[in-house]
Amino acid sequence: MKLVAIETSTPASSVALGEGRTPVGSASQVNRRGHASFVVSALDFLFDQAGWRPSDIDAVAVDVGPGLYTGIRVGLATAQGLAATLGVPLVPVTSLDAVALEATTRHRHIWSVVDVRRGEFAVASYQPVPGGVVRDGAPQLVKPDHLRALLESDSQNALVVGDWEALPETVLRGLHRIKSGRPRFPSAEAVLGLAAGPAERGEFPAAEDVRPAYLREADVQINWKQLRKEGPWSA
Amino acid sequence: MNPLILAYETSCDETAVAVVRGSEIMSNVLASQVELHARFGGVVPEIAARAHVESIRSLTHRALTEAGVHPDQLDGVAATQGPGLVGALLVGFSFAKAIAWARELPFVGVDHMEGHLMAPRLQHADFEPPAVVVLASGGHSQIVHVPRWGDYQVLGQTIDDAAGEAFDKLARFMGLGYPGGPEIDRLAASGDPEAVKFPRALADRRYDFSFSGLKTSVVTFIEKARQSGTLPPIEDVAASLQEAIVDVLVAKTFNAVEDTGATTVAGGGGVLANRRLREKMAAEANRRGVRLLLPDPILCTDNAAMIGVAGAFHLERGDYSAWSESVDPAMKLGR
Ligand SMILES: [Zn+2]
Repeated sequence: MKLVAIETSTPASSVALGEGRTPVGSASQVNRRGHASFVVSALDFLFDQAGWRPSDIDAVAVDVGPGLYTGIRVGLATAQGLAATLGVPLVPVTSLDAVALEATTRHRHIWSVVDVRRGEFAVASYQPVPGGVVRDGAPQLVKPDHLRALLESDSQNALVVGDWEALPETVLRGLHRIKSGRPRFPSAEAVLGLAAGPAERGEFPAAEDVRPAYLREADVQINWKQLRKEGPWSA
Repeated sequence: MNPLILAYETSCDETAVAVVRGSEIMSNVLASQVELHARFGGVVPEIAARAHVESIRSLTHRALTEAGVHPDQLDGVAATQGPGLVGALLVGFSFAKAIAWARELPFVGVDHMEGHLMAPRLQHADFEPPAVVVLASGGHSQIVHVPRWGDYQVLGQTIDDAAGEAFDKLARFMGLGYPGGPEIDRLAASGDPEAVKFPRALADRRYDFSFSGLKTSVVTFIEKARQSGTLPPIEDVAASLQEAIVDVLVAKTFNAVEDTGATTVAGGGGVLANRRLREKMAAEANRRGVRLLLPDPILCTDNAAMIGVAGAFHLERGDYSAWSESVDPAMKLGR
């Protein structure tokens, strides 16, 4: 089964090809504004290397976030375009799961962190299990203080992975049971690793159900002055 | 050769997909977001980008089905590259590029303004340069001389607000909600355009526009008239301010026609859907004996068929976009 994985939910972009869960090739770059330049040109290069043609693709795995809105949409729109025109299914994966999967330890409780900007972070915690990780609960959107409180209340030795460098220093300071580690960003290889199982079992959501995981409403500044419906002619 | 093109336009608040063969429309569908934005009094970029992602897949299906075209038949894929809202542009551009790559077809990134310039070809396949084209919308007001396709000489443009922006801002001030241009058009139809004499700015410049002075003048007039209890009917004010905008657009367009010797004049952009503007453009073209090509209103406002016809042009010339290209929110037309 030939899988393509697309990951663009953070300042990093990456793509990977896999025969099932076995990686065939991957490429990545870090450039916050470079997602749209990177994805298809990287796929084109990797397909050339692997001797694949686009019509060989059996399914497209994509990170739907949380993370950078624009990045997520570039990845998802690309994945949707591929899946729609090739008539193949999509496999959605979350960025937090992808980060946690590649955590550098298997002996600690794992906290996965993704920067979603405007002073907020998406977080989820995981228990390591043989061959992977299991998420404790749904991802949450938190401010740094709240994250510190979550970490303080963790009774296990834990590892914080993801973009903890984007956190204020005070969040991790003096927490003795907590270490920080890699990876900083999710990778398309991790997306492939998470998607291969469901893909091989044929577990595909309907295409219209594969949507960005924004975790919050669009930020809208309502300009009440612009909204008023009465004008100089109203009584 | 008349290539068969699947085309996308997502530069602002319409998700639009079309199939064209050369300059012939096979299908032209869109999902308007007007209602999503109306309650905020203007386009909210993040809401626009989110809505594009929600509708682009099903609109693609609709465009292909209505055209009776199987993707195997396509010769290329085109998408708006700019100018526009970056997050909105990226959705259509990424989706379109992925389709082109997956089908091993050429991909063409199109300048949105070139799309408007070429839109008259969708109804008049014999539309050929040399021509003068007036482009006016909420984001742009330009007079363009087109000596040949692909060569665009921007003769003049607005030095402050775009014409559509002036309509929208004044409508808002008058309590007409969003979008205000069509509402002013509607009210003006039963008003007297001579009721109030608003200024026609930059009379000394052949092609450039300015609409911020008009805005101030209308606002000042309304406030004073209200205080003195002499506020004319809203229809008369709408008709008078519309007349001021229309007069300037027509005068500058035909200055360009006169100076370039062009025998064809065309227009595009949402403001060209304005009925009074169309009427006065027609009268002036008639008086001067030049050919006027104004697309139907639905092809003046943003649509993907215009991106398709411009895409077909570039495809035939072999100018494709590389897979590494991205959008250009500040893309500038011509020279
Ligand atoms: Zn436009």
